[in-house]
Amino acid sequence: MRAQRHTLRIGTRVSVRVQVRTLVVIACLVVAVIALSVLTLAFGDLGVPPLQLPSALVADSGADSFVVQTLRGPRLLVALGAGAAFGVSGSLFQRVTRNPLGSPDVIGLTAGASAGAVAFGILWPGIVPLPAGAVIGASAAIALVYIATGTGFASPGKLIIAGIGVQAIALSFVQFMLTRIKREQATVLATWLNGSLEARSLRDAGIILLILAVFGTAALVLSRRLAIVEMGDDIADGVGASASHTRTWAVGIAIVLAAGGVAVCGPVAFIALMAPHVARVVARSNSPIVAGLTGAVLLMSADMIVQFAPIQQQLPVGVVTALIGGIFLGGLLISQWRKGAL
Amino acid sequence: MLRTSMAERRTHGSGRYVLGVAVALVLLGIAVVLSLGVGSKPLDSGQIVDSIMGVGDDYVDAVLASRVPRTVLGVIVGAALAVAGGVMQGVTRNPLADPGLFGINVGAAAAIVTGTAFFGAVASGSVWLALIGAVIAVVIVYALGSSRGQAGTTRIVLAGAVVTAVFSAYVQAISLSFPDVFDAYRFWVVGSLAGRGIEQAWVILPFVAVGLVLALAIAPGLNTLALGDDVATALGQRPIVVRLLSGAAVAVLAGAATAGVGPVLFVGLAVPHIARSISGPDHRRLLPLCIALGPVLLLLSDVLGRVIARPDELMVGVMTAFVGAPALFIALRRLKGERR
Repeated sequence: MRAQRHTLRIGTRVSVRVQVRTLVVIACLVVAVIALSVLTLAFGDLGVPPLQLPSALVADSGADSFVVQTLRGPRLLVALGAGAAFGVSGSLFQRVTRNPLGSPDVIGLTAGASAGAVAFGILWPGIVPLPAGAVIGASAAIALVYIATGTGFASPGKLIIAGIGVQAIALSFVQFMLTRIKREQATVLATWLNGSLEARSLRDAGIILLILAVFGTAALVLSRRLAIVEMGDDIADGVGASASHTRTWAVGIAIVLAAGGVAVCGPVAFIALMAPHVARVVARSNSPIVAGLTGAVLLMSADMIVQFAPIQQQLPVGVVTALIGGIFLGGLLISQWRKGAL
Repeated sequence: MLRTSMAERRTHGSGRYVLGVAVALVLLGIAVVLSLGVGSKPLDSGQIVDSIMGVGDDYVDAVLASRVPRTVLGVIVGAALAVAGGVMQGVTRNPLADPGLFGINVGAAAAIVTGTAFFGAVASGSVWLALIGAVIAVVIVYALGSSRGQAGTTRIVLAGAVVTAVFSAYVQAISLSFPDVFDAYRFWVVGSLAGRGIEQAWVILPFVAVGLVLALAIAPGLNTLALGDDVATALGQRPIVVRLLSGAAVAVLAGAATAGVGPVLFVGLAVPHIARSISGPDHRRLLPLCIALGPVLLLLSDVLGRVIARPDELMVGVMTAFVGAPALFIALRRLKGERR
């Protein structure tokens, strides 16, 4: 079926071609994000009733404003920002590698980012800030995968196996560091390493939202060129959208987004893998906006589960996403090899 | 196909194989001496020999006694992992097969974590737990990897990745909910030969022995399987039986090894590749060579970990990841032109 396209014009200069379905899906996702936000803030003993939320947001003091502004608000914003960053990053990777499995988790990028964050957080503290350490680790992991496959990012199976190798190196380093520190520290670090949204501050929220604003916009700008590249390198080069430049930019942006997410909430598993797939199914589009919003909805939902599920202790949110994502990955692999793509 | 494999066998002549085995045994001797000798109090080979003959001084005896369990464990585990890898690569016809990549480690980890958290299991009982976990993981990975037809080259590895993802989520959930379990787990999961008593070696030895005997017994079956299921059936083999026995051998070997020292990746991947370059594809020659070369790689990694991080040491599991991952990459690049 052909998607309906319309051209949206603002004045005579700005015109955007849009798919009606994509717009509807975006609207629905925005509603879902708002609904999840309100529910997350309203749930539980400390919850703030929805009608009192506006006043709690602006008030200077009081229990409600403490809950919204210090306890749950920053955590919510980090979930939103990091989920969106993982979603956009995964979407870019899957498009660049033309590989439905080419997500930052599967190819060892998030593990590399963790190792980088641990290295510059514990081993050599103070050289570079932790988020920058995560970016360094992530870049090193990608470089290693690229070299190790021998075929760049072309073959899905090789990409994953090289990713497994890189992941093994990164994780064994991280696990080694875990044995070197005190038990309390180790517990905190292990929680972070699973991807956790506990005790996030407004500063964390600021970091990830800033990264998302800058690099998410860049992804959006790049998206149309990427669509041309997806038609084939020859066509792209022919119309002046250099294929290799476009890919390099896309990978760079995707690395920063994923590493940013890892820096604020640890390597939350599989959001980057799942979000673009879900987005493609519901919106039938590769739009980074849809993938980002889907990622945000996924991470916010998972975080709601861990915050309010009837279990004794709050688990890191990454445990939930790893469980769901692992099963999702299994289904994806089976569907891929039924199609004969693997 | 039969002809090429015969030709290949001829190029790896007997003389070369005998020489290879001899070199492997010499290397094994060197690795054992280094493993006994290197440490914060270095011993030379003369002191080690004197002490073994009963004429060394007491201090040397004591140092040596503290290093013996580690070396013995290294030999047992190295042999087990290498043979498990060799069998696995044979039965799946997959040059990238490694027990760790197949989810066996994480299956064992899940079982051990469950046992310690809910049933108050102790270290000596963990071999059984690890075995159960390993077997469950093997069954799931194999079922997933061979769904709809024959198991492909990468499919099983990918299935292993899925099982690893789900099981590790479970392991993390349990270990983070029970602080004591986590405290034990973080030291177990790096894989280390240090700090394990000689009892640990005696507990796993029977399992490894059974596994090795089983592996050597099915070696001819693996050779026939390499010709394809149709040919194997025509030659009177029953491929399914060979596969089941192989699975059992791998689970016992890798499960016992993992129970003994924790997860150690890549020994099972790298050693069969090295051994195959000497022995050729015949499993009757390949697997015995793995028994000798596995401990060499494991002990040398362990010694290296002691040397480069003095006065501390890097656990052998960390070392093999850094040594073995490049081996995986090299094997991967060799799969040239093959899309799978």
